[in-house]
Amino acid sequence: MNQELLSVQGLTSGYGTAAVLRNISLGVSKGEIVVLLGKNGMGKSTLLKTIMGFVSPFSGTVSLDGDDVTNIRPHMMARSGVAHTPQEHTLFPDLTVEENLRLGVASNRLFHERLPSLETLFPRMLERLKQRAGTLSGGEQKMLLMSRGLIAQPKLMLIDEVSEGLQPAMVDRMGEVLIRARDELGIAVLLVEQNLDFALSVANRFMVLKLGEIVEQGNVDDVASTQTLSNHLAV
Amino acid sequence: MSYTHRAALIGCLSGLAIIAVAPLFLDVYLTNILIRTLFVAAVVMTVDILWGYTGVLTFGQSAFFGIGAYACGLIFTHYGFGPGWALAALAVALGTAAIVAAAVGWLAFFHGSSPLYSSIITLALPIVLTQIIYSGGSFTGSSSGLSGFPTYYWDLKVWFWIAGGFLVLTTTAGWLLVRSDFGRVLIAIRENEERSAYLGIPVSRIKTMLMVFAGMVASVAGFGYAAFSNVVAPEMAGFQLGTELLIWTALGGRATLLGPVFAAIGIDTISSWLSGAMPFVWKLLTGVAFVLVIVLLPRGLAPLIGALWRKLRPKRVQKIHAIRLSPAPAGRMLHASFGDAPPLCLSQVSRRYGSLQVLRDVNLDAHGTELLGIIGPNGAGKTTLMRCISDGNERTGGAVRVNNVEIARGSPQDIVGLGVGRSFQNTNLFDTLTVGECLQLARYRIDGAKLFDRRETVSLPHPALDILKTTGLDKMLAEETRNLSHGMKRGLELAMVLATEPSVLLLDEPTAGLTRPERMAIGAVLTRLTQEFGLCIMLIEHDLDFVRAICNRVVVLHQGAILMEGTVEEVVASDLVKAAYTGLQKEAVA
Amino acid sequence: MEALALDILTTAAILFVVSTGLMIILGVMKLINFAHGAFLTTGGYIAYLVGAAGLNPWLAVPAAAVLGFLAGLVIERTIIRPLYHRPLDAILATWGLGIVIGQVFALTFGRGVQFAPSPILGTIDVFGNEYSGYRLAMLAVAIVLAVALSALLSFTRFGLNARAVIANEPLARGLGIDSANVRSITFGLGAGLACAAGALITPLLSVDPNMGLPWLVNSFMLVMISGVSFPSLLVASLLLGGSQVLVSTYISPILGGMTIVVLAALILRLKPKGFSRA
Repeated sequence: MNQELLSVQGLTSGYGTAAVLRNISLGVSKGEIVVLLGKNGMGKSTLLKTIMGFVSPFSGTVSLDGDDVTNIRPHMMARSGVAHTPQEHTLFPDLTVEENLRLGVASNRLFHERLPSLETLFPRMLERLKQRAGTLSGGEQKMLLMSRGLIAQPKLMLIDEVSEGLQPAMVDRMGEVLIRARDELGIAVLLVEQNLDFALSVANRFMVLKLGEIVEQGNVDDVASTQTLSNHLAV
Repeated sequence: MSYTHRAALIGCLSGLAIIAVAPLFLDVYLTNILIRTLFVAAVVMTVDILWGYTGVLTFGQSAFFGIGAYACGLIFTHYGFGPGWALAALAVALGTAAIVAAAVGWLAFFHGSSPLYSSIITLALPIVLTQIIYSGGSFTGSSSGLSGFPTYYWDLKVWFWIAGGFLVLTTTAGWLLVRSDFGRVLIAIRENEERSAYLGIPVSRIKTMLMVFAGMVASVAGFGYAAFSNVVAPEMAGFQLGTELLIWTALGGRATLLGPVFAAIGIDTISSWLSGAMPFVWKLLTGVAFVLVIVLLPRGLAPLIGALWRKLRPKRVQKIHAIRLSPAPAGRMLHASFGDAPPLCLSQVSRRYGSLQVLRDVNLDAHGTELLGIIGPNGAGKTTLMRCISDGNERTGGAVRVNNVEIARGSPQDIVGLGVGRSFQNTNLFDTLTVGECLQLARYRIDGAKLFDRRETVSLPHPALDILKTTGLDKMLAEETRNLSHGMKRGLELAMVLATEPSVLLLDEPTAGLTRPERMAIGAVLTRLTQEFGLCIMLIEHDLDFVRAICNRVVVLHQGAILMEGTVEEVVASDLVKAAYTGLQKEAVA
Repeated sequence: MEALALDILTTAAILFVVSTGLMIILGVMKLINFAHGAFLTTGGYIAYLVGAAGLNPWLAVPAAAVLGFLAGLVIERTIIRPLYHRPLDAILATWGLGIVIGQVFALTFGRGVQFAPSPILGTIDVFGNEYSGYRLAMLAVAIVLAVALSALLSFTRFGLNARAVIANEPLARGLGIDSANVRSITFGLGAGLACAAGALITPLLSVDPNMGLPWLVNSFMLVMISGVSFPSLLVASLLLGGSQVLVSTYISPILGGMTIVVLAALILRLKPKGFSRA
């Protein structure tokens, strides 16, 4: 078995004295999309924040490429090739599209080198470089978000609820982009989702998080295990 | 007599005794220095109450010292001198200080003012005052001040006794104040001003009143010093002295009261002594010590000395103030009849931040005995909705009526008075207060707080008592809240909100981070509150199983508007709601 | 009349130059730097020393800027960073630092007043009025500074990072920006700007160990009502500086000295956000 790119072991984490996550273990390998399903308030975002180093875990470890990165500071995590797109306040609405993209890479040189690579994925972004990000439509903002993640050419993307509030066509589009990122660029993705159909259409594996614990996991191809999923996610 | 009062009496008497005999052992030079220092130490004591205990960083306490000094200097110079004039001058000092302090309070402490802004106002005060003194020409003596006015040329010993007696008496009063129930209120404001306001504590009024009394004490000190020294100068009201007061407070140890007083006496005396020999070096050293203490010892030197003291002294059982619970007389929450109007009524409530519309025309009635669940995806505006109900300045449009009263632009504490209780998403309570003290705090609006004494009971309405009993908190009243488990904090939080006797209860994720049995216990309590006590409860919750188990009615918020309302079953079955959650049909919904 | 207008313009220019260092630190670090006055004083003494050494008076400004920047880096590291989560304590610590710096100057140069030579002597004829050439030069300096700082924020990578940290620090960190580093450089810049400003205004006045103090308070007030925006700082300097000149000219120079403080306090009471995002 190949070594996992991201490996989380026995992670318990939360805010103050409240444990939001209890004893979570999971792994994501190169070229794999793993989706974490669960309703609001079940600790999905907290998990991504703990992996990024925004929240210090009570116990457990996080490692990236075999290196222990528990408690690392977030900017170091980003510089080691992890792109995190949080769920809320994801863009700088008062900055232009171009500035938002520039912030995805470490230098202006890299920005100019890599900008053309967005041409095929999100041509619309290149047309709107000078526009303020806050004036984009909801769908365009998600495109910008994905573009910013991809221009960083990360090893791993941590994506929080990318399909939320999008039209079906746009959701499909996001799915295509994620699959291309995985297959063509070998990027590993840990995706947090509530939208079951979308999640199953892009992911290799799934996990269900409920009240801070992983209650179910399996392969997306495994029909028997996916059938019970909708119960967990019923509104 | 309580332990605290006994200690205060002993301290006060021994202080007076020391003051009485000290002049017999001091030379003239040192006595002269100490008289000034003792007056100034009383001002430092007020700075510690304002900043150390209440968290109001004030740079301007020197202004009140100056007001007192100038009241004395001006009246004795220009109007007359004698016992009558002296009393009149003292009255002018007190009155002016009170008016100026009230004006500063109005400027600096309004709901929503930042601590930084308040500090800047207190910084502006001495600067403005010295400019006024400068511009007063021969009336105020401009930059050289006034001197040589008639005064009582009593013996130095007498002045020493006056200054020392004043310091000991005011410090005793201050000591009792910060140890009283009211002292807990001050600490609560320092630790969490917002939460205090949401418990119905009139934060701005308390800060202003405190400013007024502190200003009056400082002005008497200034008056005394001017009458003694026969000189007034603009520096006495100045910004430099104002910051020196802060430095002594920080060095002595903020929120220890005696620490700053002794630091002031020690440092001011030594610096007067040394300033002849090496003036700048001494000031440099205090500056360096100040920076080091702020960075390395945020609580000042007093805790160090305190620790040493405890080490040297035989162990003694720490006296813990015991608080007992008692049932409160049946309040309004037990009789939820407000005519025909529903207890909570929202019409066209909107909230926008700049161009971002977070809430849009929300119309909603909530009734007594109803448990209303608010659900919706993240960012739907649920917490904003609660904020708009509990703070009159939040909404940008529409009206909210609580028990048939329009909340208008009321501050949070006004709205608590109307009968709204609100709990918060995160449980940041008052860390250094005990469970019992937190409960007393929650009763401040109804029962008040003793200024110089502690109550031994806290009377709570029945539902609050119930919660304390269920969670076992009634056995832990002397425990500091930071030592509680998360579940207990949630329980205490709910008990505190109920202690304010609300008729409408707003709960933001009351079960977040709780285990399943804890959730079920809270659920049972909430159900009882509505059924037996007739409360109207509005609840934000993500856990739909929990909502299903307890809520009569559910409102779904989506993108700031009400998407649907109905029973839990109806809402769950709705395709519209499913779409909102999975986000597949945003455009169709909007 | 023209002289009055020139007074207003140049006073506003001086206020703007003096306040920028404070503003940039407040903007990025959410910290009111009470050592700002002491930094101005430092610049003043550098100007004095450059003059005393017989060097070109213009050299004082870059020398002060560089020295201030380096000192700022060191101060941020040792005093400010440990207090990042105790903002009111950070204010006090910078105030203590101000005292220390002031006393060091008092020990070195004495309490007395010193003078620095002006790089531009004499007057210039403007619309038939003889007006101080150096004050007019301050007007040019203010404009250049406004343009340069706007350019720094808009067109450089540091500016972009700083704006990202101002707007949303956690998000910026998540994108690989070392916000501690951004803060450190910002404090250096603010200190450098303050020292340079001190060196610039000294030829107009004089320098003594407490020279910075009155400027400190006026700068606070201007920055508080401007929020974090150089254009609104310009507007605030013009409005309040203008009021100051008018009050000083027509009522009393001493009341003029407190005009900015009083007006700003009232404006903030009525509009807590000041001129920013009106």
